[in-house]
Amino acid sequence: MSKPNDLVQGTLDMLLLKILALEPMNGFAVSQRLKQISGDVLQVSDGSLYPSLHKLEQEGWITAEWKTSENGRRAKYYSLTRLGRRQLDKEAENWGRLSNAISRVVKLKEA
Amino acid sequence: MRLEHWLYTVPLRLRTLFRRRSADRELDDELRDHLEQKITQLVATGVSVRQARRAALIELGGMEKAKEECREMRKVNFIQNSLQDLHYALRVLRKSPGFAAVAIVTLALGIGANTAIFSVVNAVLLKPLNYKDPSSLTLVWENLPRISLWRNVVSPANFIDWQDQNHAFAGMAAFLDQPVNLTGAGQPEQVDVEFVSPNFFAILGAQPMLGRSFSPEDVEKGVVSGGQAKTGVNPSKAHIVVLSYGLWKSKFGADPNIIGKSVELNGEAITVVGVMGPDFDWYVSEFSFTHERPQLWTPLEMDATWHDRTKVGRFLRVIGRVRPGVPVTQAQAQMNVIAANLAARYPKYDKGWGVTLVPLRDEVSGAFRPALLILLGAVGLVLLIACANISSLLLSRAAGRRREIAIRVALGASRRRIAQQLLTESILLGVIGGVLGALVAVWATESLVHAASASLLDFAEVSVNWHILAFAAGATLLAGLLAGLLPSLMTARAEVASALPEGGRTSSAGRKSLAARSVFVVAEISLALVLLAGSSLLIQSFYQLMNVDTGFHVSHLLTFQISLPEKKYNDQARAAFFNQLLGKVRALPGAISASGDVTPPFSGVGAATDFAIVGEPPLPPGESHGTDVRVVEPDYFRTMGIPLLRGRTFNEREFAQQTNVVVINRVFADQYFPGKNPLGQKVIIDMKDTNLPDEIVGVVGDVHESDLATAPAPVAYWPYSEMAYSTMTVVVRTATLPLSLVPAIREALGQIDSDQPMAKISTMDQLIANSVSRSRFTMLLLSCFAGLALVLACIGIYGVIAYSVTQRTHEIGIRLALGAQRRDVLLLILRQGARLAAIGVAIGLAGALALTRLMTTLLYGVSPSDPWTFAGVSVLLTLVALLACYIPARRAMKVDPMVALRYE
Repeated sequence: MSKPNDLVQGTLDMLLLKILALEPMNGFAVSQRLKQISGDVLQVSDGSLYPSLHKLEQEGWITAEWKTSENGRRAKYYSLTRLGRRQLDKEAENWGRLSNAISRVVKLKEA
Repeated sequence: MRLEHWLYTVPLRLRTLFRRRSADRELDDELRDHLEQKITQLVATGVSVRQARRAALIELGGMEKAKEECREMRKVNFIQNSLQDLHYALRVLRKSPGFAAVAIVTLALGIGANTAIFSVVNAVLLKPLNYKDPSSLTLVWENLPRISLWRNVVSPANFIDWQDQNHAFAGMAAFLDQPVNLTGAGQPEQVDVEFVSPNFFAILGAQPMLGRSFSPEDVEKGVVSGGQAKTGVNPSKAHIVVLSYGLWKSKFGADPNIIGKSVELNGEAITVVGVMGPDFDWYVSEFSFTHERPQLWTPLEMDATWHDRTKVGRFLRVIGRVRPGVPVTQAQAQMNVIAANLAARYPKYDKGWGVTLVPLRDEVSGAFRPALLILLGAVGLVLLIACANISSLLLSRAAGRRREIAIRVALGASRRRIAQQLLTESILLGVIGGVLGALVAVWATESLVHAASASLLDFAEVSVNWHILAFAAGATLLAGLLAGLLPSLMTARAEVASALPEGGRTSSAGRKSLAARSVFVVAEISLALVLLAGSSLLIQSFYQLMNVDTGFHVSHLLTFQISLPEKKYNDQARAAFFNQLLGKVRALPGAISASGDVTPPFSGVGAATDFAIVGEPPLPPGESHGTDVRVVEPDYFRTMGIPLLRGRTFNEREFAQQTNVVVINRVFADQYFPGKNPLGQKVIIDMKDTNLPDEIVGVVGDVHESDLATAPAPVAYWPYSEMAYSTMTVVVRTATLPLSLVPAIREALGQIDSDQPMAKISTMDQLIANSVSRSRFTMLLLSCFAGLALVLACIGIYGVIAYSVTQRTHEIGIRLALGAQRRDVLLLILRQGARLAAIGVAIGLAGALALTRLMTTLLYGVSPSDPWTFAGVSVLLTLVALLACYIPARRAMKVDPMVALRYE
């Protein structure tokens, strides 16, 4: 399993942060929600998901808590921190700028 | 933003660091939980549980790998990993104590030796001299290039003119040492006093610890009685003295009120005005009269006669401080001009004489620089060999652990992680080796200090300091990294698939490792050869030196020095004193004969001057004949065992009063009276104010005067009546151990004068041994290094051959099964070892031929490319290497073909 390259990794981080911004949830739920919202277009493999989550936790952008889930078992719930909120805003803004720029180039009329 | 980020994450990471185990359990639970949920989801779509589980695991990418990747994300991994590596490395080392022991001992010896030598080099060559701005201090010598004399003591008249005429120096001070008797404070003792110009301490920038030093007002413009010998020193009228810290402590009990008190020197009361601190360390051995550290300083008075070049010879030493911003080369150039002017104005005394400036640092340590640098180079080579050995050892271990590493890769360890772990092992080895090495360094440095005799170097200052420790640590880390890097690089590229199957011993990786190790061994052998060649040359050189015929009988000869205070004894009294003393000594049981010489052989000091042959046309100034002059007591030649070649020695009448006779040595006769009979000829030797012609009455054999390596010079001997020096060395030929006579002699001396001390009690054997102590020291050390290199190279070649044998077990089994004799197998392995040894020796010979050239200054009587030496050490090394191969070769012989063939 190769490591995701920087662009993909950065985008993945942003997506995860955004999902967690909606509400706290565990890892499995995050990947399911992402798949659901994007209409199956964005699917993160399990092998990349957890390393990313752990990295985000180390950076202090998300924090984890062990809670009892709906079906009675203990699960680790991640939630966004204040620092994470700021990071998310920053990355969302960068993404916006980047995607606008790309759109502008792609939409150019060819001669 | 950054700061807040840090404040948040640091405690988080610390928590991760310390709660690793629970964090791991949590990770486990989390992933398991994910799997459960995934499986539930898949089963809901109709997949069987087993298939669902399998699919989920595949998606995760394998449990362990996923966990490892998560762990990697934790930023504190480095510390955790390192600790883990350390723990693992310790366990691994404990499991193979043999390997660990060899590696650690190798490193410890290499690093310890390096550090010890570096300590010495640091103390002698690098440590700054303890004066203000020492780089601008230089000694100012006169030179006479015509006879290749590059340093000579200075004429006072020249010194005065130098001071007046130069612009490059901020100041110059003259100094001159002399023995003096210190009485009235315990046992009478002879100590060294340095007469110095009043600005001496100012030039050095040295402040006294107590009291004051000197100023120009201390020196009165007084005239002292004439009729002194040209090389005599007039005692200063100032009657003040500065003590050294050591003398103040030892003789005066560190008395804090010493200032103003008086001490008794040569019977006179002299006032103490100052005491120098413990850091003040002044000693220039070149042309020192006493060859001892001065313990007292007193002002040197420029006697009126010293302006007159006809009346006084050369005897001063001069230290100067160059003006700030003026380079020494510029000062040298200016002094050359001044010297040339003086030579033109006073051709009779100064023609051909120039000036040599020697920076103080070079003067103090220059003589030892070549030997020390060579030793440093040798030790560096030993460290290289040690590193090569370690690399080799680690490489073979790495090859043996390929299976283990392959499994770890399969379990998800990244290559970087594995390399890190292997590196940790080698660093751990390096650190343990380094700590042991520091211990070895301390022990070795102390041994060096003990082994070096007093006349070799003042080793009192040498200690292992932080510079050295840093160097040892640096060498350690470098050795560990160097040694660990190669095996790590080779192993990390190991192919996982080829390592996992059972066996797989003769894979390409194993062959590559063997090739690398062979390269190491060849390198080790060549380095060992270089060291062996160097040390053999030194050993031969030393042997030649010790076999030099000194020209007199050395053994059973006691020597000691007597300095009579000038105030107490005039010329007649001195002669009478020595007659009386010698009479008593000769009467002692155990004394075969006794005599005296003012400057005996191997005393480090001598007088030399010009002379003219009566009847010859006068020679142009600057080209006159030169000779050494020795003043002796009756029975000198017989006591010393110097053969009489022609004529006779002095008789009693000639000792009783001055009769203008002289005895010369063979070199004198051959050089100045070639083919003629010198007896009856007359010479005028320029030593005193008025010089009368002396008749040559005898020719004696040549004697090595200064050291074994220098050929004898022309010598003219005078009876004591001709020039009654106040300092005399008594020589006694004894029947038994020379030193056993000392108490009796001391008592005899006490009967004549109870205040007169004996100084420099020694034997001629000891004096000669002292004169070669530097050579002996260098030789012993280099031989130790060569021996060490030999041992290490043997370990290296043993290791490689043993490894090769295990690699070739299969092949050997086949050979034996096909009918080869056991002896053939033995020869096969030995041939392999011989090949390595031969290549190593060949490269080593080339290297040695190039490098021993650097040793030429240390060699005597043997050429740096002596063929017998090189042949000898080549043979020795090859034989020893073959011996080292013999053990694994024997093991190869014993291979059971059935067992060998069973391995794939």
